[in-house]
Amino acid sequence: MIKQLFSATILVAGTFLTAHAQYSEFDGNPAASQFTLSSDANTLQIGGRISGYYENRLLKDDSNYLKKSHNGWAVKDFDIDILGKTANKFVYEFHASLIDLVTAAATGNTAAPQNSGIKEAYIQYKGWPVKIKFGYDKLPYSQGSMSDVWGTPFWSHANLYGGDLFSRRDFGLTLNYRFLNDRFNAYAGAYSGMGENFFEYGNDASGRFEYVGRIEYSYPAKMKYNLIDEENATVPVFRIAADARYADKTQPKGSSIYTDAPDAPGAYGLKIIDGKKLGYGADAIIKYKGFSATAEIHYTQLKPTNLTDGLYNGTDESKNKKVVNSGGFCLGGNYNWEKKHSVFSVMYEEINANDLYVGIQDWMYLAYAYKFSGFNSVAKIEYYMPVTEDKAQAPLHYTGQLRVGYQIVF
Amino acid sequence: MKKSLLILFPFIILLSVGKGRAVTKIKQVGFRLLKSIPEPSDIVFDSLNGHYYVVSDHGQLFECDSVFKVLRVAEKEGLDFEGIEIRDSFIYVSDETPREIYKYKRRDLTFVQKYRVSWGGAMNKAFESISFNYKKNCFVLIAQQPPVIVEYDTSFKQISKYNFTNARSIAGARWYNNKLYLLSSLDATILVCNPTTYNVESTFSVNVLNPEGLSFDSKGRIRIVSDDTRRVYYFNQLPISIQ
Repeated sequence: MIKQLFSATILVAGTFLTAHAQYSEFDGNPAASQFTLSSDANTLQIGGRISGYYENRLLKDDSNYLKKSHNGWAVKDFDIDILGKTANKFVYEFHASLIDLVTAAATGNTAAPQNSGIKEAYIQYKGWPVKIKFGYDKLPYSQGSMSDVWGTPFWSHANLYGGDLFSRRDFGLTLNYRFLNDRFNAYAGAYSGMGENFFEYGNDASGRFEYVGRIEYSYPAKMKYNLIDEENATVPVFRIAADARYADKTQPKGSSIYTDAPDAPGAYGLKIIDGKKLGYGADAIIKYKGFSATAEIHYTQLKPTNLTDGLYNGTDESKNKKVVNSGGFCLGGNYNWEKKHSVFSVMYEEINANDLYVGIQDWMYLAYAYKFSGFNSVAKIEYYMPVTEDKAQAPLHYTGQLRVGYQIVF
Repeated sequence: MKKSLLILFPFIILLSVGKGRAVTKIKQVGFRLLKSIPEPSDIVFDSLNGHYYVVSDHGQLFECDSVFKVLRVAEKEGLDFEGIEIRDSFIYVSDETPREIYKYKRRDLTFVQKYRVSWGGAMNKAFESISFNYKKNCFVLIAQQPPVIVEYDTSFKQISKYNFTNARSIAGARWYNNKLYLLSSLDATILVCNPTTYNVESTFSVNVLNPEGLSFDSKGRIRIVSDDTRRVYYFNQLPISIQ
C-alpha cells in the first residue's frame, strides 16, 4: 500500500512538477566542457573526456593464475557529452562512453556488462520549484557515487560505491526539491531496478520499481558533488546526507532474474535479487581551505525468496533467518594545494559483500594529481592495495596496483 | 615497485613548484539573507535612488531598497541571469546560457530589447559579468572560466579581447573610481584593474563562499552576493577606494 502511494505521489508530482541533474558530469561542473553553440531558443554544449593510464600490478607468486601479467596501457575514458538547454527551461543530455560501447560491441557485452556505454540520457524541466527528470542517469544515492571520479586524483571509485554492491545508474523518474533557503535538498525517484543493465534487458518480470530517496543538509552554503575543495573554502562548509532504496523484485512463477538477466545482479549477486532488498546509508563531507574530508556508510538487507539462492551460501534458515546483510564504510581525506596545482588524496574502505560468507575486504588508496589546468588537463598517479583480502568472495592475484596517466576534459 | 615510486617522487616535487601573489584580506562586517531572491548572481547600486538591482540564476531581475527588501521584479524573464550593469537610463543584464544581453528601462524595469553576444566556451562558464569601462567607452563582458575580457561597443559589437590570467575565474565586474574591479569566485578575491590594460594593480581576499557579484554603494562600501549562501555580504571601503 505504501509503495502504491509512493508511486502515485511520484506520478502525480511528475505531472505537475519537474527534475534537475545536479550531479551531471558536464552541467555546471567547474571543469566543464568548452564548446557551446547557441541559437534563438536553444543552447547546445558539446564536451567530452579522454584519459588513459599505465597500470602496474604487483602480482603474487600464484601458479594457478594463468594470466601472469595485467600490466600495460589502459584507456579509462573516451566520452562524449551533449547537453542542451531550451529557452522554455527544458534540459536534455546524452553522455556516452565510446570505449565502453566499442568494448561491449566487440565482446558481445561480456567484458564489462556493467558498463553499457550509455552514462546519461535524460530530459528534465527546470521551470518549477520541484524539478523532474526522466531518463537514464546516476541515482541520487551515495555521495561517492554521485561525485565524479575524474574530479579527484583517483582513477576509479571506491569499491563501496563503485557499482558492485548497488547500481549507480538506472532509468526512471527523479524529483528534486530544495527548501529552507537551499539548506535542504531532497530527491525521490522510481526506477527500473535493473541498474546499468537496463539497456541490455529492459524491465524485469516483476513489474515493480526500485525506489530511491535522499535528503541532504548543507551549511552555510549549498554544495556541489565535488570531493576536492578546489574553491579553497574561506569558511568551513559541510553537507550531511541520508539515503535509502527499496525494491521488491520477487519474480513471478516461471521467471528467474538469474536466467533472464544473468549480468544484472553484478559481481556479488546483490544489485538485483529475486526477493526484497532494502538499502540505506549516510554520508558527509566537510571542506575548508583546501582540505576536504569525506565519510560514507552503507548497509543493505536482502531477503532472497528462495532458500536455495546462492546469496544464502547454503546456510540453514536457522542460521540465516532468511536475511543476507551487505555493506561497508569509506573514509577519505584530500588536500588541494592550489598554489602548487597539486591535490593529495588518501582513502580507506571496508566492505563485507555478504555476511554469510567468511571474509571482508579492506583497501587503502593513495593518489596525487598535478593540475596543469584544473582537472581539465591533469596528470594523476594512484596506488592502492588490499589491507585485508576477502579470499572467499574476491580473491586477488596482486598485492598492490599503480596507475599513472593523464586526463583531458573538453 | 619501490624503485618506480622513488623515481616518480622527484618529478612530483619539481612539477609542484609554483608562485604566489600579495593579497590583502578585507573583513566582512555583516550579511543579509536574500530570502526572496533565489540564487542571486550579481548586484549593482543605483546612485539616483539608493536602490540595488539584483539578478538571479533563475533569469529574474529584482529591484531592492537599501536593506534588500524586494520592491519590484522585472516582468520579462530570461534563462540564467548572471551579470548586471547600469548605464544612463538603462539596465543591462547578461543571460549567460543563451549568450544574450537584456536591456531594461531603469525607470520601471520594462524590457527594451535583447542583444546577442558570442562565446563558444562551456555553457556555464560564459559571461557572468558585465560592466561599463568609462575610460574606453565600451562594455566589458568577462567569460568566467578561463577568464577572458571582451570589449563591446554600445551596440554590443565586439571590439577586442584580452586573456586574463591573474585569476582562475571571474564572476563579477564593477566600475568604480576610474578602475575596473573584478571578482573571482574560485579565488574569493577582488582584483583592482587598470581600465586600459586590465593589469592587476592590487588584490584583496574576501571571506565569502563562491562570491558572484559585487557593487559599491554611494560611500564606496562593498556589497557582495553569493549564490551558494543566498546572502549579500557587507564590507567597508577598500583601502584604495577611499584615497
